[in-house]
Amino acid sequence: MSAPLLSVRDLTVGYAGQLVLRGVSLEARAGRFTAVVGPSGAGKSTLLRAIAGALAVAGGEITFDGRRVDGAPAWELAARGIVLVPEGRHLWAPLSVRENLELGAFLPRARAAQDETLRVVYTLFPALEERQDARAGALSGGEQQMLALARGLMARPRMLCLDDPFLGLAPAITHRFGAALRDIARGAASVLAAGQHVGRLLRLADDAYLLDEGRVVLAGPGVALLGNERLRRTLLPLGPAPQP
Amino acid sequence: MPLSTLMQTLVSGVMLGCLYAFVALGFAMILGISHSLNLAHGEIVTLGGYIGYGLWAGSGLHPLLLIPVAAAALLPLAFLWHWMLDRLPAPRALPSLALTFGWALLLQALMRVLWPGPHRLISSPSLGASTRFGWVTLNHGRAVVALAALGAIGALWLAVTRTRWGRAIRATGLDRDAAALAGINVYAATRITLVLAMALSGAAGVLLATTHYVYPTAGVELTLLAIVLTIWAGVGRLLTVLLAGLLLGIAESLTVAISGPAWREPVIACLLLASLLARPPVD
Repeated sequence: MSAPLLSVRDLTVGYAGQLVLRGVSLEARAGRFTAVVGPSGAGKSTLLRAIAGALAVAGGEITFDGRRVDGAPAWELAARGIVLVPEGRHLWAPLSVRENLELGAFLPRARAAQDETLRVVYTLFPALEERQDARAGALSGGEQQMLALARGLMARPRMLCLDDPFLGLAPAITHRFGAALRDIARGAASVLAAGQHVGRLLRLADDAYLLDEGRVVLAGPGVALLGNERLRRTLLPLGPAPQP
Repeated sequence: MPLSTLMQTLVSGVMLGCLYAFVALGFAMILGISHSLNLAHGEIVTLGGYIGYGLWAGSGLHPLLLIPVAAAALLPLAFLWHWMLDRLPAPRALPSLALTFGWALLLQALMRVLWPGPHRLISSPSLGASTRFGWVTLNHGRAVVALAALGAIGALWLAVTRTRWGRAIRATGLDRDAAALAGINVYAATRITLVLAMALSGAAGVLLATTHYVYPTAGVELTLLAIVLTIWAGVGRLLTVLLAGLLLGIAESLTVAISGPAWREPVIACLLLASLLARPPVD
């Protein structure tokens, strides 16, 4: 098997003296969909933010495409190809849909391909093309989630990190969104997604990790995790077991 | 009030408003993009005015030619401010308020030492002349100042909405996290913002010194003015600062025309209080 595109070793991250990640190790391979699931507070967002350079790392190593990248700021990691679509979308609300997408293609490499990426993104989400002159803040929740994902794609990522991509989506859109993510993982960019929608994420995932209290407690193919007793035990106290 | 007086008052108010908007621009940019309050803003503009005056008195050149020199002279402040603001914990509004208030006091004290004695005014003869159009007399100096201010505001607006880094600066101000994740170097964006803000403040100081007397504590009122205009315009909205400036300029001209110059400052202070109550500035 080829070397992983992204490899995280013994990663520790803390907030205000308290460790949120206590030695996390995982790998994400090129052309695959990797999922991280776990109860809320397990450290999923922290893990993605640390990988994307939005949070300082206390210890451990992050290697991307064979190079150490931990400690680099978010904009440098974006230039190398790690792009995070953060939780809560973080759109530029007063700017138009089109302006949000164009700013997503700020990096020189992305700007050179801007027109082409824009066509791809509009094919994926026709609703965004229809509303391209609307203020991002005026979009519906589902449209905003599409725009956040589309803006991430505009940066031409090699590894797209998604924090809770299905949060706040209507069930009908969730399905289409999942299909779009699978297409992206097969073609445009490898995907590393974390979130609360355990069943949906694990069914999409080639590889998956269960995170609990800042540690990886289970790893394996997505569908294998779905039927695992340990996964049920970890998630049960906080909600119903996922549908197998 | 006779119609001719009203016309003259409105025209004066509009010209004054353009200058006010220009004076407020640096403050509005720093608040909108780095979310810091620069209470030393007025002192920095005043310093620009003194530098402009010194250059003009020393060289005899036309004051407009000295604007780039005064703007460049303030650039070290941009790097100093970036270094200082970068060390503050987020949210920066409150710590920046205290820190820059200290700088306001220091700059006032330094200007008292460096330029003691009478108030300074750049009184170029070419700017002192005026032309009469029907009911309205147009002072050349004030008209040139208003046009220069309009030009600078327009150029800044174009830069921020049309250029790659201008848009990056706007994105950084709106959501710093999202900007960094999109590959925008937010430190560089903040540095560009501060360089522009200080250069504009220096330029505004020179223009101001051609129509208003410069003295060491003149900055207090200028900071007040910048706060009023920025709150009216809404944080992060540069073009609306111009509208707010025009509004204040006209309000001031009308106040002076109706009740005399003594009422100018109380009216501005009341407008500030009213706008603070209506729209608290911390985002």
